[in-house]
Amino acid sequence: MSSSPTDVLVDVTMPQMGVSVAEGTVVAWRVEPGDRIEAEATICDISTDKIDTEVPSPATGVVTEILVPIGETVDVGTVMARIAVGGDGGSPPQPLDGGTAGAPTTETKSSSSAPVAAARNGDRRYSPVVQRIAAEHGIDLGQVPGTGRGGRVRKQDVLAFVETDEPPLHIESPYRPEPVAPPPAPVADGGELSRMRRQIGEHMKRSLDTTATCTTWIEVDMSRVEAARGRLGVTALAFVARACIDAIREHPAVNAWLEGETYTRHTDVNLGIAVSLGEDGLIVPVVPRAHELSVEGLAARIRDIARRARARQLTPDDVHGGTFTITNPGQYGSIMATPIINLPQVAILDFEAVIKRAVVVTDADGNDSIAIRPMTILGLSWDHRALDGAVAAQFLATVKRQLESVA
Amino acid sequence: MPTLTYLQAISSALRDELRADERVLLMGEDIGVFGGAFKVTDGFVEEFGTDRVMDTPLAESGIIGTAVGAAVVGMRPVCEMQFSDFISCGFDQLVNVAGKMHYRQGLAVPITVRLPSGGGFSGGPFHSQNPEAWFMHSPGIKVVAPSTAEDAKGLLHAAIHDPNPVCYMEHKHLYRRVKGEVPSGVFETPFKARVAQPGSDLVVIAYGAMVPVALEAVSDGLDGASVEVLDLRSLVPLDEEAILDSVERCSKVVILDEANATCAAGAQVAALIAEKGFESLDGPVVRVATPDVPIPFSPPLEAAVLPGVDRVREACRELLAY
Amino acid sequence: MATHMAEPAADAAAEYLTAEDRIWLLRAMLLMRGLEERAMSLYRQGRVPGSFYDGYGQEAVSAGAAFAMGPEDRLCILHRDLAAHLIRGVTPSRILSQYMGRAAGITHGRDGNVHFGDRNLGCVGMVSMLPDMMLVATGMAMAFKLRGERRCAMTWFGDGSTSRGDFHEAMNWAGVQKLPVIFVLENNQYAYSTPVDKQYAVDPVERAAAYGFVGVTVDGNDVEAMFEAARAARERALSGDGPTLIEAVTMRMHGHAAHDDMKYVPKEQVEEWRKRDPIERQEALLRSLGVDIDELRASVKALIDAAAEEALAGPMPDPATAVDGVFCEGEAEPLGDGQAPWSGFH
Repeated sequence: MSSSPTDVLVDVTMPQMGVSVAEGTVVAWRVEPGDRIEAEATICDISTDKIDTEVPSPATGVVTEILVPIGETVDVGTVMARIAVGGDGGSPPQPLDGGTAGAPTTETKSSSSAPVAAARNGDRRYSPVVQRIAAEHGIDLGQVPGTGRGGRVRKQDVLAFVETDEPPLHIESPYRPEPVAPPPAPVADGGELSRMRRQIGEHMKRSLDTTATCTTWIEVDMSRVEAARGRLGVTALAFVARACIDAIREHPAVNAWLEGETYTRHTDVNLGIAVSLGEDGLIVPVVPRAHELSVEGLAARIRDIARRARARQLTPDDVHGGTFTITNPGQYGSIMATPIINLPQVAILDFEAVIKRAVVVTDADGNDSIAIRPMTILGLSWDHRALDGAVAAQFLATVKRQLESVA
Repeated sequence: MPTLTYLQAISSALRDELRADERVLLMGEDIGVFGGAFKVTDGFVEEFGTDRVMDTPLAESGIIGTAVGAAVVGMRPVCEMQFSDFISCGFDQLVNVAGKMHYRQGLAVPITVRLPSGGGFSGGPFHSQNPEAWFMHSPGIKVVAPSTAEDAKGLLHAAIHDPNPVCYMEHKHLYRRVKGEVPSGVFETPFKARVAQPGSDLVVIAYGAMVPVALEAVSDGLDGASVEVLDLRSLVPLDEEAILDSVERCSKVVILDEANATCAAGAQVAALIAEKGFESLDGPVVRVATPDVPIPFSPPLEAAVLPGVDRVREACRELLAY
Repeated sequence: MATHMAEPAADAAAEYLTAEDRIWLLRAMLLMRGLEERAMSLYRQGRVPGSFYDGYGQEAVSAGAAFAMGPEDRLCILHRDLAAHLIRGVTPSRILSQYMGRAAGITHGRDGNVHFGDRNLGCVGMVSMLPDMMLVATGMAMAFKLRGERRCAMTWFGDGSTSRGDFHEAMNWAGVQKLPVIFVLENNQYAYSTPVDKQYAVDPVERAAAYGFVGVTVDGNDVEAMFEAARAARERALSGDGPTLIEAVTMRMHGHAAHDDMKYVPKEQVEEWRKRDPIERQEALLRSLGVDIDELRASVKALIDAAAEEALAGPMPDPATAVDGVFCEGEAEPLGDGQAPWSGFH
């Protein structure tokens, strides 16, 4: 519905919430251009020095434009939006349909002219390829509008959803062709979470809510790895990656996906490596078919994807299809952590700092002595819905054995 | 490169084989002096003689059976059934003697059986069949079905060179309607599928005369959709890799058969996709085929049963919208 | 029984057979019977899977006819013609392995009982649909003629199988193209339980004339007569005079297979034919020529004992190979040459 030439345009302005208040920040819009709104209905939420409040619409009509985006602070009296008030007496206003910011409280099948995009049918079915794409991108299919028969979500719909400017989840590349909106200016002393931070948080929370996460640790003597990596000029992470791949061959259960009730063991090892993006958060690009790479090959690939991640040069393909993840935040000296599993995988390995310790060593004759060895503690978080502690422990034992017998 | 019709391409292959390999022997009814019911071997007797372009008695079982005998003593017989329909008279020799010989006795039977197939010209029930599924179902027999002039030549060369019994399904409807550039001389087309037209929203899988039907059906773009057409070319061996690759990319599949629907080649393709391509599917596997009826004679009846461009187009539209 | 042409047995044969040849013929029959008796015994011990067929009482039909075949000739051998395999060179232990479905059998367990043909010895393994192999033999002969080679093909088939279409197609094809093929019709009076008078309305040998070539009736239990008929037919074929139908008149002395007690055969008929046992007849002939029959029998028995021991020691085929070899992956190799012990070939 657009405005006609006979419409009158009404301004929606930043109110003064108190004598000393000079400005306010828009926190949320309740409408989009084209939506109809009734007078007195809340059109937006604002935040000021004194108070956070809702702003009622000054008129009944159709929103024609929104001039102040969320998070922007403007002077009192600034025009934030305009409403076209029709001169024709108007047809009865259509109820706002799903336009509220929160999730709907009921799931009903609507037989009115409600747009197909808003359908949240409880008995919606998703085809295998749609479910797979959604899982790879961590998409909630309930959010995806369907343009297929009866409103079903087609493959094109979920792919289109992936490519829209819906906020990316932390496993997706933050790369976007258009410039990303600047982070919101802080209101008062606090700050708002960035979009990316919010999405990372949601993914982490979902993982903890869905999985039955346990963590198992093992100590590893890294002396041989330290010696070898000096010779080859590669990081210890490459050796840990190779050891994990070898261990996966003996314990394939940890290289799998659990999506709902569907457990898929993968023969390929597509190795995710967590890369920190500083303030912006975390991303997990994937080395595909990592099992085909030697230690040197893995080191080169890991270097490459980390560089591209930090330069924001990853493509969507770079973050797809991971079957097992390693996180390696050890450069600050921390020794253990409880990593969160990267859905829909069933395990994640944490590799922290390598620290020289005094350890007991036993020689060939069975005599004990104290030696100084570079030691590390590897932690495996694993999903108890798919695995048992014994498998996790065996996997770690195999990784340890591999690392302690590096040539 | 010369442009040949599908029929000329078959003739070219036979001629080049007879010239290149003295072991090659053509056998069939009326193929010698008369030049063949469809003139495929027109003029051959003049160049190669009646021994190598043999007019056989009217005996399909005899043609196949004696071909087996000649093959196991070192010849390369290329038998013709005047119409593919008549292979039923030679079924036993093909399926039980030729097909099973290598498995049982380690004895290879390098025969080629040319089977002019298909309808669309009021041939009636006994001159319009597509019997390939019977032989897909029989272990030890390969089955190929060209849809282009180039493949008609290349697949026939490959079939004759193959040390196993090969059923070569030449579609009569394509004989003079399909033309194309065909390389000269002896060359082989591999027993694999080919992408006749690439796409991404839906794939139509077809072979033989159904390939041009598919290409025509999707030629007007189907409302902007990007539709792939996969020409199977080989039914045994079936190119699983190509089929699953198309399914993975397109996620929606329409399979065409001119043969009767039940247990046609397309049914095997559908089963393969359901089992191994499940994760890629965004819709049911749709088949368009001739219903389970003998092919009728009168033109409106025949047109009603053979899959035509409109039926294919509609099936694609419906699946695209699913 | 009416005949088209009957060959006198002993005189004609003597012209072509040395003493060694005649012993060879008896040995072939003794080996066939001995192997089949041993196999029957193994069958009753449960060591031979499936069905078991033998040619008891018909040994001369295959021994005599196959003996006339040269190394380059090709044979389609049927289930009561074991002597033909032995003459071509298949060893007894491989035959017993074949019956027992062992890996060392000629088909390595792929097909059973007498459904085998060693392709390296110029033999094509039979199928169960009879007489399909008549067409294959016809085709082989067709190739020989097209290439101008002095070779022939021979095939055996039974009285019952002449009722099927492939009999007609093969006879007709061979006749109209005048091919060097020898059709040996083993008329053993019964097709399973069906006697010949339910099988055809004419004397089968007369049908040869209907297809334009020679038909010969032979006493199928006279091994040297069988040899002579086959030798003459071969000469006819090699001179370009076309096919021959040899009707070998004999009697199936055991049931259709080991599971058949042949109650439908009148006892008198069996008794009558027992007096004409082909082995006894050849033994009588050779005894009169001073040959030590007992020694021959003993050596055949030793051969069979050794064969059985070897075959029983062999492994069953590996199940993992069950789906292999449906297609030939390399070059198609034609049939190889077989052995030809007749002195006429040396």
